[in-house]
Amino acid sequence: MKKLSKLLLAISFAVSMATSAFAVTVVSWGGAYTESQKQGYGDPTAKALGIDINWVDYSGGLSEIKAQKEAGAITWDIIDVFAMDTITGCDEGLFVEFDFDKDFPPAPDGTPASKDFFTSMPSKCAVGNILYSWNYAYNTEANKGTPKTIKDFFNTKKFPGKRGIYTGALTNLEIALAADGIKPGKGGANIYEALETEKGVERAMNKIKELCTDPKGGCVFWSAGAQPAELLVSGEVVMSTGWNGRLFAAEMEEGAPIRQVWDGQGLDYEYFVLVKGGPNEAEAKKALAMMTNTEMLAGSAKYIAYAPWRKSSLDVIAKGEPWYKDGKTEMLSQMPTAPANTKNYFLVDPIYWADNGTELGEKWEAMKAGL
Amino acid sequence: MSSETQKILTTDGIPLEVSLKKAERKNKLKAFILVAPLLLFLIITYIFPIGDMLIRSVDDREVTNMLPKTFKAMESWDGQELPSEEVFEAFYFDMKLLIEERREGKLSTQMNFTKNGFKSILKKLRREMKKFDEGNYKEQIMAVHKRWADVEYWRAIKARSPSFTNQKYLKGIDMYTNEKGEIVSVPEDRQIHRILWFRTLEVAFFVTVFCFLMAYPIAHLLATLPMKYSNLLMICVLLPFWTSLLVRTASWMILLQQNGIINDFFVWIGLVSEDNRIEMMFNKTGTYVAMTQILLPFMVLPLYSVMKTISPSLMRAGKSLGGTPFVAFWKVYFPLTIPGIGAGCLLVFILAIGYYITPALVGGASGTLISNQIAFHMKSTLDWSFASAMGLMLLSGVLVIYWLYNKVVGIDNIKLG
Repeated sequence: MKKLSKLLLAISFAVSMATSAFAVTVVSWGGAYTESQKQGYGDPTAKALGIDINWVDYSGGLSEIKAQKEAGAITWDIIDVFAMDTITGCDEGLFVEFDFDKDFPPAPDGTPASKDFFTSMPSKCAVGNILYSWNYAYNTEANKGTPKTIKDFFNTKKFPGKRGIYTGALTNLEIALAADGIKPGKGGANIYEALETEKGVERAMNKIKELCTDPKGGCVFWSAGAQPAELLVSGEVVMSTGWNGRLFAAEMEEGAPIRQVWDGQGLDYEYFVLVKGGPNEAEAKKALAMMTNTEMLAGSAKYIAYAPWRKSSLDVIAKGEPWYKDGKTEMLSQMPTAPANTKNYFLVDPIYWADNGTELGEKWEAMKAGL
Repeated sequence: MSSETQKILTTDGIPLEVSLKKAERKNKLKAFILVAPLLLFLIITYIFPIGDMLIRSVDDREVTNMLPKTFKAMESWDGQELPSEEVFEAFYFDMKLLIEERREGKLSTQMNFTKNGFKSILKKLRREMKKFDEGNYKEQIMAVHKRWADVEYWRAIKARSPSFTNQKYLKGIDMYTNEKGEIVSVPEDRQIHRILWFRTLEVAFFVTVFCFLMAYPIAHLLATLPMKYSNLLMICVLLPFWTSLLVRTASWMILLQQNGIINDFFVWIGLVSEDNRIEMMFNKTGTYVAMTQILLPFMVLPLYSVMKTISPSLMRAGKSLGGTPFVAFWKVYFPLTIPGIGAGCLLVFILAIGYYITPALVGGASGTLISNQIAFHMKSTLDWSFASAMGLMLLSGVLVIYWLYNKVVGIDNIKLG
């Protein structure tokens, strides 16, 4: 009996430890990116609010949170997701809908939050976090000459060797069309117009297929953010698409012999969502509001080359240059939003992908299976 | 003599039969209580989830309940031309209720599984519906987006009206029911599952063959060597077995990549030139190599345990009766190892058919298997009912193989040790 009561005491203690610490669990993509979030705004927010913030890694998708909800044991509070997932998750009732200007603080000059962010949110459950780019990088030692355009990525005559591309159809179809001669137009409107037709999709698929079956080319598919730099450094591929912040981190911190190309880049947004019925919903909401204020969002750019969503954060960085943590690298020119980097770009269209993602995914997988 | 007197009674006057049965029942109950935890465990962790999967894969009541009026109005619609005003009106009122209950998002996710493009037009409809006037809903809905005037989309809605459906299973073999009710194949550029099923079978088959070819001599050596050496060899077999799957797969990546150790070695001894390094990863070769190595212990151990029981004198007897070593092996030794071969092959094949992480890491595009596709639908599209259907198809495939094996070899012939 004594033993049993001791055990019960131990269990209840453990349970109370787990629930009373006000630990907010934030789920993100890991690696250099999570590190930038943790140091840039996670730790300062935790300190200011007197809470703990736990960082958990995942590789995207909503399956885990859906499973947690169905099992009635939600352990995540805040998730860092793609635009498409904010739409699906909001539709499925997984996330909290925001009253944007009430839930998020205005810019220092008083501009309401909804005006301070670059664009409106794709769903009511989303709050912007960073802008990042799907651009490509090449190994400076493995290539003779310098690839400059998106066409060069597909030019295996001039630059022979394998290419690393993203494992899904997302953004691959867009760059294929951009390389095939379609001018993206304003925000990539021309590309998405072409992709609305079967012909356009076929044209994009063929372009990728051509690259992957080319004896001088060939494709390696990557799925995790750290892979492109690894593939480039190990010599497995000579060029690879990737997320610009990861490529920048590999270049700056590990001295990897790689260089980024911005022509034909896909500008994409990353969002935070608040899980409905999470273990610490109230604390998490406070933490989220603080993490996405002007100063905090600018903070993460000290550690990685992703652009903060708020216009006012850019002003903070401009005043503080050189902003990078080494104290000598200017950050604004490294960002996907820098004027020099946005001469030829498209905006990844979440609505298009929410609509057509499944079917294109099937076609894409069928194409891959036939390689 | 009457039967009354025949009955043997115990000392307290109860017939022995009854008394025995009572005691037996007690024992049976005790035995049952002993196995009850295991039974409960099996029910909770095995039977219940499989049952849940089965229901999930055919259950379509969610959509049926979301659009009750629409489906009722659609009963008389033949699906040839656009439905009548009555259907549009019913749809409008169903939607109105769904929006009030904030369930329209779920509907759009579900409908998008059936036909692409529903997500945006349902969203648009939700926005525009607030401004609708009473009456003439057909025209108003069709004005929202041109897809609402496309009969294909209304057919897709009608396709979701039954409470239970076999569409997910058909999709698993690249088929669907067309508007005439015939079951037909999907267009060629979207056929993916058949390729993957065959590839999965092919990979599992060859991995089993490779494992067998490698494990047989090893197991023989293990069984015949003196204890001193065989123990050391056994550790060599078991050590990788105890190492994490991910670690082993990652090590193969280091070995097999283009600038990896094996390629470096080949270049160093001059087997291949610097520019023509062999591609051994991100294709089927990588999948074969890594899976064979990972599954090898599952073949070695049953073979070893069977070979250990075969007396060496049997081979000697065979030879002394005039057989060559090969004949003695083939006629005496080999048949005795069949139970081990059966167990090993079945084990490796079944494990290989559901392999997921290794093909995902080293398989590239041409080396991915059906389980990777299941994971894709679990993780990315959230179409869990389709993932369930494919999971069950995989499970029934395994059961068919088990049944075939039982018919051909006999399941009693299996020996794991």
